[in-house]
Amino acid sequence: MAAPAIDKDAPKICPVKPGDPNYLDEASLVYEDILANPEPYYEAMREHDPVHYDKKLQMWLITRYEDLQTVNADPNLYAVGAGYREQYSKGFFEEFKAILEKDGGGFFPDAIMSEPPYHTRIRRLIEGTFTAHKVKELEGRIRKVVVDLIDSFAGNGSCDAVRDFAIPVTIHVICEQLGISLYDAKKISRWSEAVTAQIGRMQNREQMIENARHICELQKYLINEMKDREANPKNDLISGIVHASVTHEDGTVEKLTFEEAVSIVRAVLIAGNDTTATALGNLAYLLATRPDLAEALYENVDDDRFVTRFVEEHLRRMPPIRGLSRLTMEDTVLNGKHLPKGSHLLNVYGSGNHDPQQFPDPLEFKMDRPNLGRHVVFGGGVHRCIGLALARMEVKIVAQELIRRVKDLRLAIDPGDIRYMPTVATQTIANLPVTFSRREG
Amino acid sequence: MDRTPGVHANKHCEEGYGMGNLKVTMTDTAGKVHEITDVAEGQSLMEIGRAHGVAGIFGDCGGGCACATCHVYIGEGWGEKVGQPDDIEFAMLDMVSDVARENSRLGCQVRMSPELDGISVTVAPTAA
Ligand code: HEM
Ligand code: FES
Repeated sequence: MAAPAIDKDAPKICPVKPGDPNYLDEASLVYEDILANPEPYYEAMREHDPVHYDKKLQMWLITRYEDLQTVNADPNLYAVGAGYREQYSKGFFEEFKAILEKDGGGFFPDAIMSEPPYHTRIRRLIEGTFTAHKVKELEGRIRKVVVDLIDSFAGNGSCDAVRDFAIPVTIHVICEQLGISLYDAKKISRWSEAVTAQIGRMQNREQMIENARHICELQKYLINEMKDREANPKNDLISGIVHASVTHEDGTVEKLTFEEAVSIVRAVLIAGNDTTATALGNLAYLLATRPDLAEALYENVDDDRFVTRFVEEHLRRMPPIRGLSRLTMEDTVLNGKHLPKGSHLLNVYGSGNHDPQQFPDPLEFKMDRPNLGRHVVFGGGVHRCIGLALARMEVKIVAQELIRRVKDLRLAIDPGDIRYMPTVATQTIANLPVTFSRREG
Repeated sequence: MDRTPGVHANKHCEEGYGMGNLKVTMTDTAGKVHEITDVAEGQSLMEIGRAHGVAGIFGDCGGGCACATCHVYIGEGWGEKVGQPDDIEFAMLDMVSDVARENSRLGCQVRMSPELDGISVTVAPTAA
């Protein structure tokens, strides 16, 4: 998964407001105010220029649900991997690679950031580990981790729902899923940042070296765990990936190479991190600002169908992923726009999820939508999120266990003062001070 | 209750196609009827549809019961033999309730067996 980074020195506020005749020309996803509230920009594009060139971001923004389906249906024309490799550790690639080869157990290109047929082979090998039925087997353990964590702060009365809740819960759960016992949230966050920093143009040489050092440490840690699971398989994702195989009709058995397997374990650790944490931070925001929904969730907390639908509509209405990149491999025409070969596109899933053609009254929370699941929260086509069942289960468990233990959740910050992370990839609340009380009995 | 065959980590590969002699008839979303006569035991309806380019069968999640892009209606007379969805599959079908029916199943959760030889299914539309 990849999206460009935003230049730190860019101006922060869009000079024109929605409704201005030059709005579409001037607005951009590089502005902080638009990143915080992108809906008017999305709406203007969907209505007037659905395949829109954002000049400041230098990307074509794909904003309609239908067009996103078209792009995702042709992964060889609209490619994930080519743009990703071009961006990777840009400017320092050879040096970066050499550091990893020397001190990090090797340089492992991201096997999943690729095109069919290679991508198909990788997916077929790992999909069995992530099925809804497999994930269900992890439910008990994950619930225990979540309950312990919520119990530990439910009596505190206040916290930062992002820093003290969403991020640590996510990291604990990911470690539990992967089967690693290192619950060092700080370290894992830092590793995750180091990997993410390789995409985009934000790091200088000094930072690259520092990031490479962290990635070396991460890889050595993961390789150790993988070696252990090779010999002693357990019921966890690392074991699943290390032992993944496909049996062909002629009896031959195919497996991931070691390099591929390391890259997948690393990708799972990273891809599930910011996304799920964002979903949980958003959940805290939803429950704190909509007491009616918090109440309904509490009353129906044991009704599986209710909670499942609640979570799905929450993800659609506040989608964690805003936009992810594609590169056109040929000249093409999309919804009437000519896109030359080599065009950089952003699949704006955030907009597709709020396309009124697909979801009437898109910003309303309506969990009885008859097409509830036909959103692009997890993308679509061959790159559809491989962790989707895990993600749903995690958000569901947290929603249940939080509402069982906490009541009167309220924001302790003016909604207008909420800041978002400076990235187009996710729409992530940076800090969310809240107050609450423990639900007794 | 749960008569759904398990989803195996070691799946049969789609290239292993054409090794059996079971029959399946699939009507796709464009109305085209696919008569497929060389299906091997153990293959799922999703795998079969995807390998034959049956319109409307995508199988995005690779048989994970987590995307509902393999949704089919089981042909009359076959419901009993195919069985009912389990809870996990039901929850997924519920997400596309605009087109879900009594005879809905996710194609990835139905695996071919000699019992199902000759089954006919219709691919569900991707929007109501
Ligand atoms: C609420 C949480 C999550 C959201 C919103 C989310 C969203 C997405 C989206 C939109 C994509 C599509 C990428 C594209 O179109 O280029 C994707 C891909 C991916 N996700 Fe997730 N994800 C979440 C959680 C997870 C988790 C928990 C994992 C860990 C297993 C994970 C692993 C992946 C991987 C490996 C890919 C790449 C798949 C490919 O390219 O074939 N995600 N995710
Ligand atoms: S292939 Fe995803 S639910 Fe069947």
